[in-house]
Amino acid sequence: MKNYSTNTGAKRLIKLVLMCFLFMNFTPLKADVKCAQNDHITVDFKNMELKQVFNWITQQVGYNFFYEASEIDIEKKVSIQATDTCIEDFLVKLFSKIELDHRIVAKQVVVKPQRIDNFVPKAKVKTKPSPNNPQQATLTGTIVDDAGIPLPGASIVAKGSQIGTTSDFDGNFELNLPEGTTAIIVSYIGFRTQEVDVQGQTSVSITMEPDAASLDEVVVVGYGTLAKKRVTGSVISIDSETIVEVPALSPEAAIIGQVAGVQVQEVSGEPGAAPNIRVRGSGSISAGNDPLFVIDGIPISRNLTTSVIGGVSRRRASFQPPPVNPLATLNPNDIASIEVLKDASAAAIYGSRGGNGVLLITTKKGAASETGRFSFDSFFSIQNVANKLDLMNAPELIDFTRDARNNNYLSSVDGASIDDPIGPGDRGDALFELPESFINWDGTDTDWQDVIFQTGITQSYNFSYASPTTNKTSFFASAGYFTQEGILDKSSFDRYSLLLNLNSQLTEKLNLDLRIAPTITENQRIPSSAPYFARPPGVVYSAIVHSPTVNPFNPDGTINQLNNQSFLGGGTTTASNPLAIIEAVDDEIFQFQNRASLALSYEIIPELTFRTFGGMYLNLFNQDFFRGNSLLFRNSTEGESYAQATSSTEVNWLWENTLNWEKEFGDHYLNAVLGYTAQRDNITIKEVLADNFPDDLVTTISGGQVFAGNSIEEQWSLASALFRLNYSYKDKYLFTGTIRSDRSSRFGANNQTGYFPSFSVGWRLNEEEFLQSVEAISELKFRFSWGETGNFEIPNYGAIGLLSPDNYNLSGNEVNGLVQSTIPNPELTWERSEQINLGMELGLFNNRLFLLADYYNTKTSDLLLNVAISGVSGFQTTLQNLGEVENKGFELALRTKNFVGDFSWDTDINFSTNQNEVLSLNENNEPIFSAGSAGVRHVTRVGDPIGSYFGYIVDGIYQSQEEIDNAPFDTQAPNPAPGDFRFRDVDGDGEITPDDRTVTGNYFPDFTWGINNRFSYKGIDFSFLIQGVEGNEILNLTSRHLKNGEANFNSYAVFNNRWRSPSEPGNGSIPRADRQTGNHGNNNRPSSFQVEDGSFIRLRNITLGYTLPADKIFGDSIDRLRVYVTGTNLFTITDYLGYNPEVSNISTNSLTPGEDYGAFPLTKNFTMGINLSF
Amino acid sequence: MKRILIILLTICVASSCSDDFTDLAPISNRNEADFFNNEGDFIVSLNASYAGLQDNGVYGRAYWTMFEMRGDNTDQGPDATGLARVFTEINAFTEDPLNEQIDAAWSGSYRVIANCNVILDRIGSANVEEGLQNRIIGEALFLRSLMYYHLAIAFGNIPLQLTPFVPGDDLVQVDAATVYGQLVTDLETAESNLPISYPASDVGRATRGAAATLLAKVLLTIGQDGQAEIVLRRIVDQYGYQLLPNYADLWGAENENNAESIFEVQFISGGIGQGSAYTNDFSPSAILQTGQGFGRNRPTASMQNAYVTGDLRFEASMDTTWIDTDDVVVVQNFVTKYVSDPPIENDSDINFVVFRYADVLLMLAEALGESQESYDLINQVRARAGLTGIDATTPGTFEEKLLDERQVELAFENHRWPDLLRFGTVVEKLTEAEPDVINPASIRTLFFIPQRELDINPNFIQNE
Repeated sequence: MKNYSTNTGAKRLIKLVLMCFLFMNFTPLKADVKCAQNDHITVDFKNMELKQVFNWITQQVGYNFFYEASEIDIEKKVSIQATDTCIEDFLVKLFSKIELDHRIVAKQVVVKPQRIDNFVPKAKVKTKPSPNNPQQATLTGTIVDDAGIPLPGASIVAKGSQIGTTSDFDGNFELNLPEGTTAIIVSYIGFRTQEVDVQGQTSVSITMEPDAASLDEVVVVGYGTLAKKRVTGSVISIDSETIVEVPALSPEAAIIGQVAGVQVQEVSGEPGAAPNIRVRGSGSISAGNDPLFVIDGIPISRNLTTSVIGGVSRRRASFQPPPVNPLATLNPNDIASIEVLKDASAAAIYGSRGGNGVLLITTKKGAASETGRFSFDSFFSIQNVANKLDLMNAPELIDFTRDARNNNYLSSVDGASIDDPIGPGDRGDALFELPESFINWDGTDTDWQDVIFQTGITQSYNFSYASPTTNKTSFFASAGYFTQEGILDKSSFDRYSLLLNLNSQLTEKLNLDLRIAPTITENQRIPSSAPYFARPPGVVYSAIVHSPTVNPFNPDGTINQLNNQSFLGGGTTTASNPLAIIEAVDDEIFQFQNRASLALSYEIIPELTFRTFGGMYLNLFNQDFFRGNSLLFRNSTEGESYAQATSSTEVNWLWENTLNWEKEFGDHYLNAVLGYTAQRDNITIKEVLADNFPDDLVTTISGGQVFAGNSIEEQWSLASALFRLNYSYKDKYLFTGTIRSDRSSRFGANNQTGYFPSFSVGWRLNEEEFLQSVEAISELKFRFSWGETGNFEIPNYGAIGLLSPDNYNLSGNEVNGLVQSTIPNPELTWERSEQINLGMELGLFNNRLFLLADYYNTKTSDLLLNVAISGVSGFQTTLQNLGEVENKGFELALRTKNFVGDFSWDTDINFSTNQNEVLSLNENNEPIFSAGSAGVRHVTRVGDPIGSYFGYIVDGIYQSQEEIDNAPFDTQAPNPAPGDFRFRDVDGDGEITPDDRTVTGNYFPDFTWGINNRFSYKGIDFSFLIQGVEGNEILNLTSRHLKNGEANFNSYAVFNNRWRSPSEPGNGSIPRADRQTGNHGNNNRPSSFQVEDGSFIRLRNITLGYTLPADKIFGDSIDRLRVYVTGTNLFTITDYLGYNPEVSNISTNSLTPGEDYGAFPLTKNFTMGINLSF
Repeated sequence: MKRILIILLTICVASSCSDDFTDLAPISNRNEADFFNNEGDFIVSLNASYAGLQDNGVYGRAYWTMFEMRGDNTDQGPDATGLARVFTEINAFTEDPLNEQIDAAWSGSYRVIANCNVILDRIGSANVEEGLQNRIIGEALFLRSLMYYHLAIAFGNIPLQLTPFVPGDDLVQVDAATVYGQLVTDLETAESNLPISYPASDVGRATRGAAATLLAKVLLTIGQDGQAEIVLRRIVDQYGYQLLPNYADLWGAENENNAESIFEVQFISGGIGQGSAYTNDFSPSAILQTGQGFGRNRPTASMQNAYVTGDLRFEASMDTTWIDTDDVVVVQNFVTKYVSDPPIENDSDINFVVFRYADVLLMLAEALGESQESYDLINQVRARAGLTGIDATTPGTFEEKLLDERQVELAFENHRWPDLLRFGTVVEKLTEAEPDVINPASIRTLFFIPQRELDINPNFIQNE
């Protein structure tokens, strides 16, 4: 295999950029580019090694050298002089002196041996027809890369001869073939050499395929970069094109369904809501499970206090809206790459924070080219609710309600018959009666979902400029505006973002990198993710429980609040008009966030670089919540105003000092990083609450009576030392070892420091001689890694015994009270995750087929567990390090290039499994029962996944009284009748008791997969991504009301298939209707009936794009102009009854995942967009 | 370059490299490690113990479920669905050990106890003036005893933790008699330590009378009627309580901490978390304009019938109908003792009266047994209710007459369940009052110990 190297390893990153550049940016360059003033040099080298000359040029004028190490003797001594010479002329002189060929492509110098003796560049001399070769034929052709971009300077040689030429700057060539030539050999650095049959042809079009193995692609690995081939950990890199493939607010949308082992769950469709991101499952029970985000070197780990921010004090914790997405501040267009560090070997460099995986996000830099590049990207998107629930219409609901009232009467009154002279409706019992408006239905049949959902509109505009390198300085600047109106009226998200990344080579040895990214986001939320009885009520939930017999509006057009669901009577349950909720509630969040960093790198000697990096993250948060008097809560006749103003300031600073030593000698490659970092976070939160607003005219705090306020200040800090060593021998045997020590303020005084070691080894079999002959195998690498990482996502003062206010009142006055609220634990320390990873990378047929396979096993121990302790202590829990959780799974990623050439077709397939199991808990392994939004419905116990659903198991439906009599006695069903659920006697004691509750499912999928296909033909590109999740269950709490059989408001239409009589048993899974099932069969108890399969297959994205032949239309002024249309989430195939089979209402609590209690539905989007660069 | 390195090193040493960098103390919270230094610290800690009485697990909600609704006075009505079933189950004896109310009562009561234990543990070594120190000890002992009394009544066999609990300590269940024995000692200390009354700014704290009343109750519970009589006479003779002339004047925000009142859990409204939720809990929905009435703790028919015609206490205590938003009259009993006017959402200025003088008079009659003096004591209470006196010739046994009087006089004040237990009439009264709801076979005198505690302490024995 070929082994390409650059003159200095530190420039490896450039290569990636170079390749992009070669593909994209070459066209506008002309041969007569003038030599810039600063590219003139004056030198006097005497007996200097060639590589030192290269180094000097690279540092002085930014030219990079590419060559095949085996072909060029870079230690060759040269002597050369020049005075104020254009660098390009200098290079001509240099290389002619040492008899090497070279080619310059925008400051990238490709150096080759002079092996074609009579190499005749087309530009210089036309090959004349030779008189003794009368049959010579002229062949013309074009050489392009796999993206269709012309390749200049490719070498074309007639097979079996020395006759050759190179392609010109448009990729065209003309070659006079000697007689008898049947084929030509086409070669180009970085591409696979091809033999092309030219018999009988005068014109050919040749598409070169990239030689991926030799690309020397570079990935970001944290505190540095590494050639991809030398990576031994499990690192996935997502490039900028993939990131913008799905037009979205924030970059993590690009990962959905695309990366094996990374699950991004869109738990809410609310604009700006944070998704759940899990790398290889959930290891933690009480601490956080979010991966660590490192944005341009600044680790942004969630401050647990900030999860409080955005909440509304007067709302139950489980009814709070999803947290604001921290990644929503990032403009996807600005991102160069996202790297996911999945295994411990890769993540251990982040030590106590790497336990949940790490996402490294790198933003774009200035172009390494001579011309700048402007880009304008914009899209316009319309959104609708992805799917509607199948609910009953008015006649169905009336029939259902009648059934429920009659059955209640029959079961409640001894000896009752439906034909009794004083029937159910005449007994003065609302729970037997039918609402008056149902008896005399006026024909109103409102679809409440149509009432609340609207078409949302999203627009995104992004303008950026990647500057050329002038005065050894380049920059990337971008401005973006994103605006989204949600599918529920009033909900919206706006973002204004700026980015400036500036890099300057200050002196020969000193480099400066400055990055500033201020962002303003404005988010208007509306209450969702909450049931109809929350305060304020959830809009979606209030709509779906509303009876279709109710008109949303009064005859005068005002919102119907006094004659709606709340006033039906007849044993129905009250609910507010969702339109009134939307109108009355304002929840605006304004945030100014800024990331800024300055890095100085100093090259002490060529191999050794010192870098000092100062970073800062600032978040100014402002929230104004107002609930107006106009909302009548359920059947209230008076409004209740309430307002809350919250502001917070978070300043997080970071200072890092690293020494990087990289050297290649002979067959050995060594790279070592030694660093010391310190990070500190300060957050202050201020909150003022008011109520008793006289009217809704003033919606800020000043409009009402202030009754409470709060001011909180918290800090955390982390001091760390890190060391990493990469070693490879012949690029065949690879080793990486890291160790990091972290000292965190969050841990107990006796246990603040931790050490996180890891190592990994790799073996590239394709470099072995016995595989060299197997041409089909272009890459075969085995990897093994072991490492330990940590998790410090606990409250800032988790180890300290805190006193909290618990005030009392005496003589009508409030008096201060303080009570100890946490138990101190000076031994408290981080969670420890020990992970092994076995991986294989296989590339076949020049990597046209590339397979990535990993197996991992992570054991997370010393869990930061809120261990239950006896209430006798005065506390419920104490934070301790106890327990163990295992996550293990397989990941497969297959990338194939099915067709290359004019028509190309690539397929990416990913598949991953993860199995989550609790191995041990507290001393007695007692299960942890957790109450989510509706009582205790979750259990975390040994042998099952974290937060499994807990309840009775439905074992069918009683068909006869005889069956009931013979069944185990159900202590929880006071008076069951045929048509009621038969519950399982799990413990086999002959009775159904609370002991028969067991695990009824969990939120963890068995496996997830995605298939992405990309096609292109000439200027047309087409792609579609199908995503699948299999085996996850959802705890559909809306079933408590919409599937309870009580007909106390609207219901899922599945109840049309209910059990009605032994002769009409329905579909066998739906029980009878009964208004007071709690007094009879108790069908609505927590059970498997409310746990639903959340498996789904989704057409995540489908895109059709057309790249206009811009050069033909606009000439040189436009590089690229692409227009596209995209559909996102166009359809989802699922059995789940609710809106979103990935929903999780309380996304901040690992113990209560997967609840659906009226979440904001997902949207399907149609997008039109344009990409323009010039 | 060297100079830069030196500067960097200096900054490093000065800031982040030092150990102090990660030694961060809380800013917005106090740290228990440096608390309990002076009398102010003890007073605010003690205040938090009182505040614990307001919690849902204590007088806020769980206590009325377990000490009132469990008995025959009230029920949950037939229409509770969904989450309200935890109340229905307590009323109908169908609750299981996972019931949230009993769990809340256990943890809420012990939370107050734990806080008192810390105070009692630390006060000895603190620099607090002796008089105040005694008072603080008295208050803490009273509050701890009040909680232990309720725990002993409810659960019987409970851990008697009298010092601060250290995680890892073993807990041992003791029987109720052991608990009561401790309470007698503690309450005797509390009675002697506490003042008879407080200056205006401290009204609401535990008094000598409060400790004595609880002591008497404990003594009656363990059958030491003679001892109880001594204590009760002390209250009657020395502590200056009197019946208010008008029963209705006992209730309402403007009548709190009156001459008859011995101890109240204090609540005030104003959106500062000091209000009570009784109005919401006990009122039918449409009584409140905000629509948040839950209609819980409803007087049963037998409770309603316990009031004889002309009993002034009836109207002051309960109502039988309400008018819904459609102006339809709904027949449904509900408790009116705790209705605030105007109703404020979960934030009423309504105290909960734990002990009052009428209870003392009736307890004294109980301690004395049937005698003329006992009838006189009962008749004091009856007279205020506008009823004629009773005597030995009135039908029924003395105990029956006394218990009936206690039922109507102290209705909905969390006395009924302990009374039924003390008078030994649990099964009889419940079967009589709630035959539709309660299966006599399922009636138990003790609540289940919360499952959570059994899980954590495997050596605990569950109540049958």
